[in-house]
Amino acid sequence: MATESSNGASIVTLKDVTKTFYRGKEPIHVLAGLDLDVPSGSFEALMGPSGSGKSTLLNLIAGLDRPTSGEVTVAGANLSRMSDGQLAKWRSQTIGFVFQSFNLIPVLTAAQNVELPLLLTDLGGADRKSRVATALRVVGLEDRMDHYPRQLSGGQEQRVAIARAIVNDPKIIVADEPTGDLDRKSADDVLTLMDKLNKELGKTIFMVTHDPAAAEKASVQRKLDKGALQ
Amino acid sequence: MVPVRYNIRSLLVRKVTTFATAIGIALVVFVFAAAQMLGEGVNRALANSGRTDTVIVLRKGSDAELSSTLDGERLNMLRSNSAVASSAPGGGVIGESVLVITAELADGSGGISNVLLRGMPADGMKFRPEARIVSGRAPSPGTNEVIVGKSISGRFEGIAPGKTFEVRRNRPLLVVGEFETGGTSYQSEVWGDLDTIRASVGRESVVSSARVRLTSASAFEGYRAAMEADKRLNLKVMREDDYFKKASEQTSGFLAGMGMVIAILFSIAAMIGAAITMNGAVANRTREIGTLRALGFSRLAILTSFMLEAIFLSLIGAAIGLLFVQLLALVSFPTMNFQTFSEIVIRFAATPAIMISSTIFAVAMGLLGGLAPAIRAARISPVEAMRG
Repeated sequence: MATESSNGASIVTLKDVTKTFYRGKEPIHVLAGLDLDVPSGSFEALMGPSGSGKSTLLNLIAGLDRPTSGEVTVAGANLSRMSDGQLAKWRSQTIGFVFQSFNLIPVLTAAQNVELPLLLTDLGGADRKSRVATALRVVGLEDRMDHYPRQLSGGQEQRVAIARAIVNDPKIIVADEPTGDLDRKSADDVLTLMDKLNKELGKTIFMVTHDPAAAEKASVQRKLDKGALQ
Repeated sequence: MVPVRYNIRSLLVRKVTTFATAIGIALVVFVFAAAQMLGEGVNRALANSGRTDTVIVLRKGSDAELSSTLDGERLNMLRSNSAVASSAPGGGVIGESVLVITAELADGSGGISNVLLRGMPADGMKFRPEARIVSGRAPSPGTNEVIVGKSISGRFEGIAPGKTFEVRRNRPLLVVGEFETGGTSYQSEVWGDLDTIRASVGRESVVSSARVRLTSASAFEGYRAAMEADKRLNLKVMREDDYFKKASEQTSGFLAGMGMVIAILFSIAAMIGAAITMNGAVANRTREIGTLRALGFSRLAILTSFMLEAIFLSLIGAAIGLLFVQLLALVSFPTMNFQTFSEIVIRFAATPAIMISSTIFAVAMGLLGGLAPAIRAARISPVEAMRG
């Protein structure tokens, strides 16, 4: 796992970004002229009420969606101009995902779930196996490799998901309510782990959360309301 | 590419729907394979019935022995050629009389079917070395004794060893034995004395057809040209194997065609079943698919993955269908020989080609049924992964 340092240069830059959805013919302006700079190596928490546009913003940063207007630049790539296929490839090389509901594939073991992003690389079987073992060791679950998600607790599932997020050594980890489905103890374990990924491995983390305790772990806290950063 | 084990395990996890869909596909594969096995059975029974060094001679204009008549003079003309193997039984030429009778089925159903009776001279059996008595004895020449082919022995009232049946009132024929001819269509006939059989229909002076044993298979063209050149003789000369092959084409084509129509109708239902199952799979796994897309798997990878899953599903169905269809090899099946309008009994015959074509048919069903759900899966947005 490569260590990255915070050098202050922006890894995420949004310029005058708007995002409009349509309900029938009625436009809903979720983000309106938003600017954002996220320095490389930072751990940022984005908070805000439901419907404020947090998830939309996260989707844009993660390359899951494209803005209606404006420019989204992440790790040097202008995502606004990429095709679906280019975005998919870019995500596989650049982004690590942590989801609220863990999103592990239930029919695959922990190790097989962690291996998924590596199947999009040129790595051979032995290299993949070694990387999977390292990632699971980082999250403290090397002894749960062959367990299926249903055989793990919620906290363990989320740690497997974090192992999957870091296994391809992404430049940035995006986390959508990573503690939302966890009890306090498991949530704290996950947050400690994310803090470790940020501080020890230098991973940039951009996290959306409702949980004030989670936000406190972050070095920067931002608030989004009605599509604008406060 | 999405790992194949993802699809295999997904199918295994949804055991009940997977099994139900596979059974639907299995049923279609069963019908599809059975129709072809039946056609193959007919081919084996009819197309293999003839020999290449033997010709069958009919009156010109006749397609079948049943509608042909030849007189004694013509039989003599057939002998007068150097291509005839005169050392063969009957001097290389035998004239036979065939007729079709209606007989009641012995199963008590009251149903009737047609049976072909063949009257042959004393050397008739020797002329066909593949024919052998399997029980009882050969009929004595010049008597009312007959033997019955193994395939139909006991299927009809009175047509079984030790029993009698009538072709003409008060002239019973006595079955004295059973014969077999290696599964060919002759095995579905009743053989008796030529004079007895033709006397029973009042055609004492003529035969239906003649069989001529040639010195070699290559002598056929010369012999045919010589016999057909004489317009007064008015003869039609065919290789015996070609004659039966032509007969089999009509019957096997009919059976295979009928089976194919049923299989295609069933396959529409099975494809709808596969489509429903795969649609359910896609609907239940929207978040999983979204997650795979978020991780970087392309639309094509998702499409391929779900098409593969549909193929696996159809292969499970094909395996079940083909397993059960093997049991049909134990079943024999009475059907109509459209050339003689008499019943022949055939067996379902499985060949590797049938197994392969049935599997391809199943996969095609899976692909067609799975295409729309797979396209739906490929269109799922990676944003779906984010929905809680």
